[in-house]
Amino acid sequence: MTADLALIWPELILTIGGLITLMLGTFLGDRQVGIYQLSALLTLAAAAAAVVALFGVETTVFSGTLSVDGFGGFAKLLIYAASFVCILIAPRFFSGGMRAEYPTLIVFAALGMGIMASARDLMTLYVGLELNSLAAYVLASFMRTDERSSEAGLKYFVLGALASGMLLYGISLLYGFTGTTDFAGIAAAMGGQLNIGLIFGIVFVLAGLGFKVSAVPFHMWTPDVYEGAPTPVTTFFASAPKVAAMALMTRVVIDAMGPALGAWQQIIIFLALASIILGAVGAIGQKNIKRLLAYSSINNVGFMLIGLAAGTQQGVEGVLTYLLVYVVTTLGAFLVVLQLRDADGNQIESIPALAGLSQRRPGLAAAMAVFMFSLAGIPPLFGFWPKYLVFEAAVNANLVPLAVAGIVASVIGAFYYIAIIKMMYFDDKSDTEIPAGGGAIVEDAVITASALWLSVIGYLFIPVLAVVSASAAAVLF
Amino acid sequence: MIQLIAFYLFATIVIASAAMVIFARNPVHSVMWLILAFFNAAGLMLLAGAEFIAMLLVIVYVGAVAVLFLFVVMMLDIDFAELRAGFVRYLPLGALVAIILAAELVFAVGAWSAGGVDLAARAAPVVTDKSNIQQIGELLYTKYIFLFEAAGIVLLVAMIGAIVLTHRQRGGVRTQNISAQNRRRPEDATRLVDPGVGQGMEL
Amino acid sequence: MVDLTQYLPILIFLVIAVGLSSAFVFLPMGVARLTGAHKPEPAKLTEYECGFPAFEDARSQFDVRFYLVAILFIIFDLEAAFLFPWAVSLEEIGWAGWATMMIFLAELTLGLVYAWKKGALDWE
Repeated sequence: MTADLALIWPELILTIGGLITLMLGTFLGDRQVGIYQLSALLTLAAAAAAVVALFGVETTVFSGTLSVDGFGGFAKLLIYAASFVCILIAPRFFSGGMRAEYPTLIVFAALGMGIMASARDLMTLYVGLELNSLAAYVLASFMRTDERSSEAGLKYFVLGALASGMLLYGISLLYGFTGTTDFAGIAAAMGGQLNIGLIFGIVFVLAGLGFKVSAVPFHMWTPDVYEGAPTPVTTFFASAPKVAAMALMTRVVIDAMGPALGAWQQIIIFLALASIILGAVGAIGQKNIKRLLAYSSINNVGFMLIGLAAGTQQGVEGVLTYLLVYVVTTLGAFLVVLQLRDADGNQIESIPALAGLSQRRPGLAAAMAVFMFSLAGIPPLFGFWPKYLVFEAAVNANLVPLAVAGIVASVIGAFYYIAIIKMMYFDDKSDTEIPAGGGAIVEDAVITASALWLSVIGYLFIPVLAVVSASAAAVLF
Repeated sequence: MIQLIAFYLFATIVIASAAMVIFARNPVHSVMWLILAFFNAAGLMLLAGAEFIAMLLVIVYVGAVAVLFLFVVMMLDIDFAELRAGFVRYLPLGALVAIILAAELVFAVGAWSAGGVDLAARAAPVVTDKSNIQQIGELLYTKYIFLFEAAGIVLLVAMIGAIVLTHRQRGGVRTQNISAQNRRRPEDATRLVDPGVGQGMEL
Repeated sequence: MVDLTQYLPILIFLVIAVGLSSAFVFLPMGVARLTGAHKPEPAKLTEYECGFPAFEDARSQFDVRFYLVAILFIIFDLEAAFLFPWAVSLEEIGWAGWATMMIFLAELTLGLVYAWKKGALDWE
């Protein structure tokens, strides 16, 4: 038991750090933004360091309820990094309205997401998921005086509760028909003939998880919640929980349902195709940049699911690489959105207001162009690479039609990304003034770094990425 | 035999009172029906041999959740006419959700005929000489301690969430300041005066 | 199947309680019906004494603070519920189990400190 404690340092650090942040905010007051923000940032950094220190360990702790391995480590690093950025950008957005609960909830959500990424028991899965979701519901309506924010939180909560219900129903079926909640035990039980109860268990678990990754047809909450939630929270929703839910889904289908490949593969293929197509089509005609990015995230989740549908180690490597590139791109794109303020300092979210941005803010427009091209997967940019990996994995797994459909749909998707770039560079200036300045140096630095990494420098990291993602994915096989 | 009668009794009342939750015109009555449903669900849990869960249902659901529901019902200023007007508008959506849930039930019936439930591999084989609550304790605080602590954090997050979303700083709270009370000396509050006869007095 | 004989006292208690309470409600009604005249008419059934029918629902809107109190109550109620299995199995789970519960309590105590300090328990 005590030996196990040494292996869950990341979780321990997050718990203690979250509690310290909460107490700092409580006793020093909400005005001491610097102090509690620093505490939350240090907590996440220390947790990430602990994950790195545990590199190479592959074992299970607490009677097999939690695993400590490279796959979980990879996902946790991404999650912690994304949460770090989301805490960093918040004070400027909330200006006077920043409260200590924001960083605290993000730290606890990161704890929940870490538990999701390393769950190897259905109960661990559910507790991690609920910890993350509960914090997310509150974060979505964090600006409680703002009508849209409250509405987003309520919508997210109601639909999230429905999804949790479906997930629990699936879990209870799996437990009933296999007699265990342990992933390895479930996999062993699925080795034989699949009975109808197990199949329904798989269906409902995947439906519940599909909601969390916002795959079509469980995506309906995404655009509304992304639009209504405060922008730093939307940045958070679009990055870290996606990683956690995707890692969880990967672990569940490969680890727990591995022998039943034929049963879940069809579902994943359907989710993938539907997400790619609806994500691409739904984005066309959107007038709000946050809604557009919501559809873009649905679209990208579809591509990740292609890698997962392959069900091979190569596919999982593709998913992990895709997650890394997606998180960097999304964080960059939302940071650009955060910089868009009119002369009165109000956030600009409407797309037509972006017209002619290249003449007002050339640097910002260039960065946005990089992120958009990268999301579209246009070759010179690094966003192309993970798409290539997942298609390759699909082809190697004899899913050629799926890969072809994905490529065709990605062309549709490219349309609206390029439409934005055209608007920024070739349209006349919009009436909305977007004055320069006022941006924090850290935010500019993050935007610049992610844009540079996505442009060409990323390709230099391919050998490293390949080794890391391969060793992480190998854990599951 | 008696178990069977008890099961059907509890099950029927659960379903009937659940239906009444929906059909009751007054939302306060709905909550009352819900409490009846909770009680009978606790009875079903007893029949299944899960005494601790049955008692939790009574303590937590009847004692706390139902009270919360009542507060929420009283908090919302529900206009019944408006509610009925919305009924037709949201009928398609509601019907969709109902169909999905009904499909789940049908699936469950399908799964019931799929084969025996496998209890051999479960974590806790039934030990008959120990009470239910003791068995739960022996599992929860040994095998599942990580989940237990995580559940504690979930509760903490729920508390933070409730306060973030509903708490407003209010003025006019009179709190006791014990040190100020202790510091107070008779001199601060009383004054000895020696008024002369017939001179009146200044206060 | 569970042995239900141990619940016999509760069953007897319930039967007597329900029987007595319904007797108190229905017996007077029945007696009144049998002994007195029963001739209802609209004038008899209208409100009198105060003179006019109620203008609105007697229900008034509650403050949102009740909700906060109820949520806090649920959380600490659940915390207490976790104490029962812990208390009865303390001998088997040993010091590790004891420490587990102490950590759990500490987590929620910090939550209580937070709620207190924030003024969520204040009521002017």
